[in-house]
Parts: sequence; C-alpha cells; structure tokens
Amino acid sequence: MSEIPVFFLHGLAYAGLLFLVSAGLTLVFGMMNVLNFAHAAMYMLGAYFSYAIIMQLSGQFWMSLMLCPVLLFIIGALIERFLLRRVYKFGHLQELLLTFGLAFIIAELVKWYWGNYPLAVNIGTILTDTVPIFGIIYPVYRIVIMIAAVLVGTAMALILYKTRLGIILRAAVNDSGMASILGVNVPLVFMGVFGFGAALSGFAGVIAGPLLSTYPGMADAILIDAFVVIVVGGFGSLGGAVIASLLIGELQSFGVLLFPKLSMALMYLLMAAVLIIKPSGLFGEEQ
Amino acid sequence: MKQKYITLSTISAIVALFVAAGFMPLLLPEYNLNMLTEIIIFALFAVSYNLLLGYGGLLSFGHAMFFGVGAYMTAVAIIHIPGLSMWNAVLIAIGATIIAGAVIGALLLRTKGAYFALLTLAFNALFYAIATKWTSITGGDDGLGFDRPDLVLGFTTVSMATITNFFYLTLIVIGVVILFCWYFTHTAMGKTVLLMRENEDRMKMLGYNTNISRLILFIFTGAVAGIAGSFYTLHFRFVSLSAIDSMGVGAAVLLITFVGGIKTFWGPIAGAFVYIILQNYLSTITDRWPLFIGLIFVLMVLFIPGGLSEVIMNIYQRFFGRKDRNEGASVAAEEVKS
Repeated sequence: MSEIPVFFLHGLAYAGLLFLVSAGLTLVFGMMNVLNFAHAAMYMLGAYFSYAIIMQLSGQFWMSLMLCPVLLFIIGALIERFLLRRVYKFGHLQELLLTFGLAFIIAELVKWYWGNYPLAVNIGTILTDTVPIFGIIYPVYRIVIMIAAVLVGTAMALILYKTRLGIILRAAVNDSGMASILGVNVPLVFMGVFGFGAALSGFAGVIAGPLLSTYPGMADAILIDAFVVIVVGGFGSLGGAVIASLLIGELQSFGVLLFPKLSMALMYLLMAAVLIIKPSGLFGEEQ
Repeated sequence: MKQKYITLSTISAIVALFVAAGFMPLLLPEYNLNMLTEIIIFALFAVSYNLLLGYGGLLSFGHAMFFGVGAYMTAVAIIHIPGLSMWNAVLIAIGATIIAGAVIGALLLRTKGAYFALLTLAFNALFYAIATKWTSITGGDDGLGFDRPDLVLGFTTVSMATITNFFYLTLIVIGVVILFCWYFTHTAMGKTVLLMRENEDRMKMLGYNTNISRLILFIFTGAVAGIAGSFYTLHFRFVSLSAIDSMGVGAAVLLITFVGGIKTFWGPIAGAFVYIILQNYLSTITDRWPLFIGLIFVLMVLFIPGGLSEVIMNIYQRFFGRKDRNEGASVAAEEVKS
C-alpha cells in the first residue's frame, strides 16, 4: 500500500491551504463578528494578482508572495473603512449582504479582466521538483505549502497571545468600549484586522494558484470547504481551525481513495455529526 | 388589543389585483405573459423567504435547496411516473421539501445568526453536489426536460400546453398560497415567529419552545419555496443546476426580497417585479449581469437598507400627508406591538 503516504501527504497539503484560507476568515469573524463572504473572492484575487505579477510583468514567485498580501491588505482595509464601517450600525444582516455583494462584484471583475477560463501560472522548477520522503517521491511544492501553513499559524498564535499588539487586539474584541476608553483606536484595530484577514486570503491565493490552477470558479470551490472548517473547528477559534483543516484535508484525500462516490458527502456528514454533538464546533464557545 | 387585519380595503385591493392579473393574457404578448408567470412564481419564492428573513430574522443562504428540491422532484416524478397528474407531481414535490426541511431543520434548529447563514449555505452545497453528481436521476449539467402534463379537474381535463392556461393556473394556485402566507403571519404561530425575532429569551421565559417554533417556520417556508420551485419547473418545462444553486436562484431570492424590502409582507412581491423585469432587460444588453447584482446589493445595503417598500411608504406619506396607521414604521414592527 504505497499510496497511503501519498494520500496522507496530499491531505496535509490541502489541509495547509485550507488553514491559510480559513484562518483569516475565522480571525475576522472571531474579532469583528463579521462573516466575510468576500473572503474567498479575495483569495481568488490574490491568485490573479500573482498571475499578473509572474506572467504579465515577468516577476518572480517570491515577489508575488510578498506583494499580493500587501495589495490585498490595502483592498481589505479600504473595504472596511469605506463600506463595512458604514453598515455596522444596521446589524449583522447588512454586513453579510454587503460582503455577499462584494463577492459577486470581485468575481465578475476578475472574469471581465482576465477572462472566464483557467490560466496557468509558471513558477519555474519549484513546482515540478520532487524530493524523497517516507520512501516515496513527493513534489516539493506541496511540502512548501505545509511549511507555509505551519509558519503562518505559529506567527498568528504568537502575535495574538504573546505580544502587546495581541493584547490590544483581544481587548478591542472583548470590550471595544472599554478598550477605546483606555486609549485604543478601535476603528483602526478593526480596519487592520480586516485588512490582515484579506492579506492572509491573498497569501493563500498566491500559493493555491500554481497548484489548483487559476480560474474564476476557484473562489466557490474553496469557500464551502473553508466554511465547513470554521463550523467544525468552532467560530473564531484558531486552534479549532488547525484541527478542522487537518480533519477535512485528510477526509477529502482519503475519501477519494476509499469511497470515490461518496467523497464529497463525507465532509458534510462530518459537519452534521459535529453539529449534533456540539453545535458550537469542536473548539467554539457556547453561543 | 386585537387589530383587524381583514378590512374592506384590503379585500378589495386583493380582488382588484386578481381581476387585473386575470385580464393580462388578453393584453400582453406571449413574451410578457411568460415573464409575468415567472414574476408570480418568484414572488411566492420571495414571500416564503421573507417569512424566514424579515419575520423570523433568520438569514438563510440555503433557500435555493428547497426551491431546487421542489423543482427537481417535479421533473423527476413527471419523467419517471407515466400518466402522473400535475397535482400529484406538485404534491410529491411538496412532500420531498417537507422531508428535506425537517431533516435539515432538526440539525440547524439550535443555531442562529451568521452560524445559521453559513450552515444553510453548506447544506445547499450538499444538495447542489448531489444534483451535479447523480446524473442518472438529475441529468447533471444537461438538466431535465419534459412535457407539461394536463390538468385533471375530475369532470374535465384542461390542456396546459399553452402559456395562457398555465398562467391562469399559476395565478390561482400561487395567489392562494401567497394569501395563505399572509394569513400565516396573522396566526398565533406567525406572531410567535415575530416575537421570537424581537426577544427570544423572553419567549423562552414565557414557556414557548422557540426551537420547535423555528423548526416549524423552517419547514413551512421550505415547503412554500418547494411549491415555487415546482411551478418554476412546470413553467419552463425544464430544470437545471441553476435552480438549486445558492449563487443562482439563492442569490436571486435574496436580492428580490432585499430590493423589495424585508419589513413589509408585500415588499418582496414588488421586488420580484423589479428584479425579473430588470434581469430580462439587462441580460439583453449586457452579459455582465452578476456585476449588476453585486452593485445593487452593495448600493442597497449602503443607501436604502429598507428596500423599495420603505421608499414607497415614505413617498406615500409625503404626498398624502395622512399618517399611516403604523406611522410609517414597518408592518412587521406593527405586528409586534399589537
């Protein structure tokens, strides 16, 4: 059974990608209580920006990996500052609808500018290189994804729980009124958090582009998976996102191997099971 | 104080609307009559959605699954059961949506808010995946086409091959279902739904089982959406994946309801008129229709969160001076006070 390690590693790689996407989503939700439907659209935007930098401006892969999150941060911060901030007072329904509309606009603009077909991103030999691991030959690129996910996850945890910035963030979330009395610029914090969430999704998009190919349907393809991850892991829980990404990633990978016909239903079955046992998710706080 | 909701003016308005609609086949060309039929069907879909969103305060991104289950069950039943009458096809569709609503509702009944929104989206994705993959039954990407069965009334059989006859059937059946929804909002159950939205904790304190009420609302609105889906399929004599897509009809019903206004019962019906006409017009001049959907969403949320019904009510008050019974507040809010 030489395919088991391969499928295990494939699962890990997909889990890494899922974590990168859902970490930003769960961060924004946990901090700002805004469920960002445009998150996957921003992820797609990251992939397309990367395509533009590498293929159209003949840049390097690492350059797009640095630049795209910055661009997405700016876009996210602008969206928060000029659109979302105006609708907080109307309530959650309007916030959801606004991001839902933005997702439509971004997806359509992408189709308009780059066309409604898959684009190949050529990032050189790093995509095709392989390395022997666990007695098999495995593509380097997927291992890079795993390492990137681990690094990002660790950095987020350290910032949130070990730095002064993290304390300010958590304070602004817990009691924004009190934090603002103590001199924290709460609107600025929210703008930064939303921008950071967008930057994370852009980072994930850059990484996903060469692997899953860059096409207009890529947002819808990962949106539901990322949502299932944060439902299973628990809303706003970073640790939950890690565990749930691993679960879903491996489930998707081995599902194809063991039950090819049922593979897409497995994820929903897991979600239904978690909902019955613990409606707030594995690591979520009770509602 | 119990407020009378069936007043002479409401009854006459409803009768006038039915009579006016009844003359439409004589006045409108076939193309517009098709459009009007579509409007009526989407009006019912949006009314059922608004019962969930406006009255219940539950944002669902999965209403398309009930519409889709109704649509697919109708088509599948007509194709696989020879000689099935139209009534039975619709009844099968309603039965299927009730079962789907009960199962999903039972899983979701403890969740609210963004959680509920997201889970309904996920379950919708499951149904969409089934419709895509189970090609032997659903036809997959190709969809299902069929002939509209005739209407058997016991003493006579009415051919449904022409749009005029089908329009009358749609008008009567869907009109009655919309009226029933309106009646529903005035029943004790309808009031419970409203009060639950306003203050669930207090309802619990008063001894109401809010989870069960939410489940009943979910199943009821799902079944009504299933009727709309069933008629949608019968109208087009065809069903495809867009009928069960949360980004297809799901986004459409959200936009219709929101454009019309979630604070009144009739808002979504007005929204259906605007949306279907706009869509038919815009899709002839541009294929960037989703871009307009997104723009309308964002602009509505930012500038007219109350929707068309709010705008109309404001204009009405400005020009007719007379303060409305509820002083321009939402009808739904008025219900809470009574």
